[in-house]
Amino acid sequence: MDLILSSAGSYPRIGDAPDLQRHRRAYAQRERGEISAGEFTKVENEVVAGVIREQIEAGMEVVTDGLVRWYDPYSHFCRGLEGATIDGLLRLFDTNVYFRQPVVKGPIRRKAAIIVPEYEFARSVSTRPVKPVLTGPYTLSRGSILEGGYRSTHELALAYAEVLAGEVRELSRAGAELIQIDEPAIIGHPEDLNVLEAALAAAGRERGAARLLLHLSFGDVAPLYRDLQALPVDALGLDFTYSPKLPALIADLGSAKPLALGLIDARNTKLETKESVFPVLDAVLPALKTGPTYLTPSCGLEFLPRARARLKLETLKRLRDGYLGGHR
Amino acid sequence: MSRQKLKRLGVELPLLPTSTVGSFPKTPELAEARAKYARKQITRAELEALEKKATEFWIRAQEEIGLDVLVDGEQYRGDMVAYFAELMGGFQTGGLVRSYGNRYYHKPVVVGEVKWPGPMTVEWWRWTQSLTRKPVKGMLTGPYTVMDWSFNDYYRDRRSACLALARQLRKEVEALIEAGAKIIQIDEPAISVRQEELPFAIEALHLTVDGLPAYFITHACYGAFETIYPDMLDLPVDNLDLAISNSALDLLKIFEKDPFTKDLSLGVLDVHSHSIETPAEIKARVMRGVRVLPPERVWVDPDCGLKTRTVEESRGKLAAMLTAVRELRTELA
Repeated sequence: MDLILSSAGSYPRIGDAPDLQRHRRAYAQRERGEISAGEFTKVENEVVAGVIREQIEAGMEVVTDGLVRWYDPYSHFCRGLEGATIDGLLRLFDTNVYFRQPVVKGPIRRKAAIIVPEYEFARSVSTRPVKPVLTGPYTLSRGSILEGGYRSTHELALAYAEVLAGEVRELSRAGAELIQIDEPAIIGHPEDLNVLEAALAAAGRERGAARLLLHLSFGDVAPLYRDLQALPVDALGLDFTYSPKLPALIADLGSAKPLALGLIDARNTKLETKESVFPVLDAVLPALKTGPTYLTPSCGLEFLPRARARLKLETLKRLRDGYLGGHR
Repeated sequence: MSRQKLKRLGVELPLLPTSTVGSFPKTPELAEARAKYARKQITRAELEALEKKATEFWIRAQEEIGLDVLVDGEQYRGDMVAYFAELMGGFQTGGLVRSYGNRYYHKPVVVGEVKWPGPMTVEWWRWTQSLTRKPVKGMLTGPYTVMDWSFNDYYRDRRSACLALARQLRKEVEALIEAGAKIIQIDEPAISVRQEELPFAIEALHLTVDGLPAYFITHACYGAFETIYPDMLDLPVDNLDLAISNSALDLLKIFEKDPFTKDLSLGVLDVHSHSIETPAEIKARVMRGVRVLPPERVWVDPDCGLKTRTVEESRGKLAAMLTAVRELRTELA
């Protein structure tokens, strides 16, 4: 059985030690105009390389660039669009983290590639496959203020899907084998599954050889699980931390799609143990009809201090190795 | 009904009582002193003297502006959860996590049984109350928010951590009442983040306040209140303080369907905006509340703590609020 270890998105960009605070200092210097955009990018590049190195050292077999260059999961995409501006802060789901809300005023169009250059850089400094991450069209639409250009958030979701289709196509051509699309907003709006389905179909239609992994976090995915199987994606990433019933549900219904099991709580410092993780693997793995299966944190690790984020990944590796080695 | 409770407690307030949510900006002198203290350039006693000076400055400012229920301005507090976590047993200072942009904070970690260390806010309350004849609110952060904004390495789950905190924070409430506080505000800005957890957030607040003789206010902000309404009316407090100015959704509309059963503090000033509202804007916001609730049950305040505004902005906003409220008192009388 293949159990591949992977990050699920963001990684803390700074740590508590002074030498790990370079990004924070450079960001402040950039805001004060003391360093150029080029100098700041150089720091970002070094931080991305460090974040990737740390994931690999912790045992990850598929890494991300830690989303180090993202202000947040919404405005990072919308800054690069014609027809959108960026507004004030709003709470990101149930976290104590805030994002800047996009305002859509007219038809949106990509001015240039957004994630592709970031992916290319990450790949150039990684010895392991890099998984690019996109915020999904439905979630972008739900988090935006719609002031013009579209009649509804549903229409806007399809417009975002067109923008993301360009990213998916170019990421695939650039060599990305697995592309993660985050759609946490659907958990609170199961009535919009048809919108999500249409948007994902549009976003993924030119994915070529790349596989799309739909990742859901920040809520209980169990009520949606059956319907997720029908979505036009190649794999499903699931946050297990909200869903006590999810393992039994998967054991019961199985999965026709490969799964990424978000078993490690990326929102709390407490470390997982074999007592908490092995029974879930025992229940879920026999029900999976196809692989590979990924083991991941429940969401991006940026909600944790840097040292603990690393420890979480090391824990994930230790548990995977222990499970495969039969160490009960 | 809660007006009668206030009366029983010996607190007489005018129509549309005015107050603030808790924090005021640190005075420039204090902000500089805090930085020096962090660099170990001044002593704890020197810092505390300036904290007291700044607190007195804000008490005088609130009196001049004409507010009815005063606050100590939290000149001695930093973060609203970390302040308590640093004092209580069972917590450790955690590593840095990002809040947004380039803003980071040390998120506390529960590493053992949480324990009330003795009064955490009472001496400040007592001293502040001694400066004024107006009632000063006792102020603390509620158990659900302290739990949600901390990591939990110790308790089995979020509910256990929350209920344990509630039992300990009750002791702070008891100590405030013992010292003479009649109005106590328990902030729960995280209350709406997980709809499915509202039942234990309510259970926790019961543990914190049940049977205690004070007028209780709970402040919440940044919330998707429509997801927890009307269930949030089960919170065992007399007054819910909700942001109205900055809310995309017209909260008051949902009150038309399920009547609001408590006193309501209307947060009518946008604390995240530099611009100072006009009295006419403020009156319109208050009137939206008065249309769905009898004016006797409406309080008026900013939509959150003012600590991110400047001293001048804070004074300007509050002065406009008081102008609006005085006109409304005449018009509604």
